Amino acid sequence: MISRRKFINYSAAFGALAAMPQVNTDFFFKPAMAQATKPIVFLSAENITGNWDPSAHTTLSQTNIEGFVMGYLTRAPMTPENPDEVIYELATEITELDAHKLQIKLREGVTFHDGKPFTAADVKATFEYGSGADRPKQVYPGTTDTFEVTTPDDYTVIVDTSKGGYGASLFIFLASYLPIMSADDIAQGSSGPLTQRLNGTGPFRFVEQRGNDTVMEAFDGYFKGKPTVPGVTFSFVGDATTRMLSLMSGQADIIERLEPEQVETLEAEAGIKISRQVSVENKYLWFRCSKPPFDNPLVRKAACHAIDRDLIMEVMGSAGHASSNFVSPIKFGYVDLENYPKYDPEECQRLLAEAGFPGGEGLPELEYITSTGFYPKTKEYGEVITALMQEQGFPVTLNVMEVAAWNERLYDRPGGGPGHMVDCGWSTGSPEPDLVLRSHFHSSSKRICGIEDPEIDAALDEERNAPSLEVRRESLQTNLMPMLADKVPALSLFTSVLMHGIRTELDGLMMYPDGQIDASAATQG
Amino acid sequence: MFVLRFLVRRLLQGVVIVFLVSALIFTLLRVVPGDPVRLMAGGMAPEALIEEIATEMGLRDPIPVQFARYIGGVFRGDFGQSFVRPASGAAVGGASFDDSTRGERARVLTLIAETAPMTIQLALLAMVFALMIALPIGIAGGLNPGRWPDRMALYLSSIFVSLPNFWLGIVLALVVSVKWQLVPSIGYHGFAYTILPAFVLAIEIAPFLIRTLTVSVSGVMAQNFIDIARVRGLSWGQIVFRHALKNASVPLLNLLGVQFSMLLGGVLVIEFIFDYPGLGLLTINAVMQRDFPLIQGIAIITAAAFVLINIVVDLAATAIDPRLDY
Repeated sequence: MISRRKFINYSAAFGALAAMPQVNTDFFFKPAMAQATKPIVFLSAENITGNWDPSAHTTLSQTNIEGFVMGYLTRAPMTPENPDEVIYELATEITELDAHKLQIKLREGVTFHDGKPFTAADVKATFEYGSGADRPKQVYPGTTDTFEVTTPDDYTVIVDTSKGGYGASLFIFLASYLPIMSADDIAQGSSGPLTQRLNGTGPFRFVEQRGNDTVMEAFDGYFKGKPTVPGVTFSFVGDATTRMLSLMSGQADIIERLEPEQVETLEAEAGIKISRQVSVENKYLWFRCSKPPFDNPLVRKAACHAIDRDLIMEVMGSAGHASSNFVSPIKFGYVDLENYPKYDPEECQRLLAEAGFPGGEGLPELEYITSTGFYPKTKEYGEVITALMQEQGFPVTLNVMEVAAWNERLYDRPGGGPGHMVDCGWSTGSPEPDLVLRSHFHSSSKRICGIEDPEIDAALDEERNAPSLEVRRESLQTNLMPMLADKVPALSLFTSVLMHGIRTELDGLMMYPDGQIDASAATQG
Repeated sequence: MFVLRFLVRRLLQGVVIVFLVSALIFTLLRVVPGDPVRLMAGGMAPEALIEEIATEMGLRDPIPVQFARYIGGVFRGDFGQSFVRPASGAAVGGASFDDSTRGERARVLTLIAETAPMTIQLALLAMVFALMIALPIGIAGGLNPGRWPDRMALYLSSIFVSLPNFWLGIVLALVVSVKWQLVPSIGYHGFAYTILPAFVLAIEIAPFLIRTLTVSVSGVMAQNFIDIARVRGLSWGQIVFRHALKNASVPLLNLLGVQFSMLLGGVLVIEFIFDYPGLGLLTINAVMQRDFPLIQGIAIITAAAFVLINIVVDLAATAIDPRLDY
């Protein structure tokens, strides 16, 4: 005999069993494996700024996003074998008419993502806007009033640098650095649509910023043909282990800034490949040159001779590439400098004594600021540098900070920035060396080190004003670079090796040495 | 009448607690190193500009004046705007000081409203998992004091409590997501992404539930009314599930309330490791960017939630055991 209570219980159980097949189990469980037609998922180690204007920042992660969305006149693969190579993209031909005149022929039939046709007016507007003195990423050899851009027809641009007195050839390498913006967007001012979204001519169209995800989709009207992959999702994930696990589980397709230990782990994994590239980024030890004791070049040089860069290379392992100059070996004008400071304790002591600090006596307490969480191994080699300098009598204290706090203290300020030495890298996606040298060592810019030295200014102006690339190369290698090695406003420690982890089924990516990726021909096998 | 008096009294106490927490957080944020204006304006901004912006924003007024202004806004439901986050909600870095073109800032309440449901979902699932783990182990331990189920409950609790959550999170992600491909775990693209982080949190909470259950069940089972129930002829199942567990549930309920509140504030590490877009990840980014209004807003709302949950738990406990008087 069945009771009423049991009857109800059994009925409920039967009902639940009958309903089971109707439940959408995908709600609870979805396979973590990569799917054939999903957008490429890129996990970035760095967050973006709150402003989409490409001329408003120098943030690498956002530059990488621009690499997917924006178009450039040229692209620079910057391989060690051929660092000066230029591939034409929106430009089809660049000709030096004379020392101060450059003619750029443009590709026809290209449109922006908002449907507007690309013409010479866009290049003119971008050059003039991007070189404005108020633009944070002001990268051109001079401000807007030092050159003139004319557009004889819709697909020809002539840049005349006579007013500025510098060579027009400088624009050749810069053409691969600042993306071309729409003249219509620029016309609406620096607080208009430029800040709200990206509008370019690249293979992927900017859709939206969804929390920490930047969502892009393949652009139907891309002039080389619509990309095979449906889109790219570019996400900021702060933790390196999280990024690695995400790649291993197939949730991410590409991750950046691999630590050497992670490379070992990932190399043992089937389904993952590693991309290694000597990058455009050098890592520097910046001295605060605008305040004692590093306002004295003798003390700076003494500090450089206290540092054994071979030890730093041992710490960096596969993430570092030895170099002896202030720019990366894949930049125009690179040469291994003969007078680049080497580890030499005796010379260090001699210079300290000459500066009035024998054995480091009388030096103030020195703060060395570095970050942890973004660049590989900064804390580890920071400890090596601190120990080596202490050995020579420099009273150095290492201050390791999380990225935001370090970023806050990074730049020079009137009267000298915080601390006495700062660790930071500098990466610019062009062979143009002035993007590093002028930005950091000219009195008008001096971003981190704060140096004001008329001789360095003159040497920078001399190479900038060179009438041809060959003359410029010579000026860089025989005048400016050796002078910098002598005055050492910063010590370049090594060149970074960019290491990406990529799912093996993802092919056809073109990786640039500044971290940008061309995924227009990517396929997901 | 009792309920009304109880609610009024506890809510007033709650307001005082939240006010004190707000004042404390507000003051601490302003005395720790790291000038938010420097982060907003960019490292290269001259001191004069920093001071100008800070003065404009009222950040150079005395702390009590700033606090009065802030709390006035809170009472009107205005928690202010984030210092750095754009309306899209992205975690952002600094731009240069003379950049007048930064996008519109996000409202603090909007950011919290978008992320809090994610954390509540995570916390609720963690509680469910924790109960699924703790109930059988804890009850078995409580019903067999001194015997192997009791010892097993103790050993398991000790193991669970000794596992660092960041380590367990990484190991489980490696095994369950990477090797076995069972559930995804990084980021959030659906409910399945909550399972693994919730399980890690559950392992963290379970030891406390197991110990509370073991002690309270064994205590209740030693009471006279349990012996009498046996004499009344009640079955073992009726004694355990209808009488013992009901009486043992009051301390468990109190603990659940506390643990749930702790979870809301304690998911920082787990959300960071799993890149789970909840309040924890929002908090970590806000702290790293010295985003004062956001940190304050999260602190106040978390404190208010803590107070409310405790009031609800006390009310529920009174309903279960009318002898209790709060």
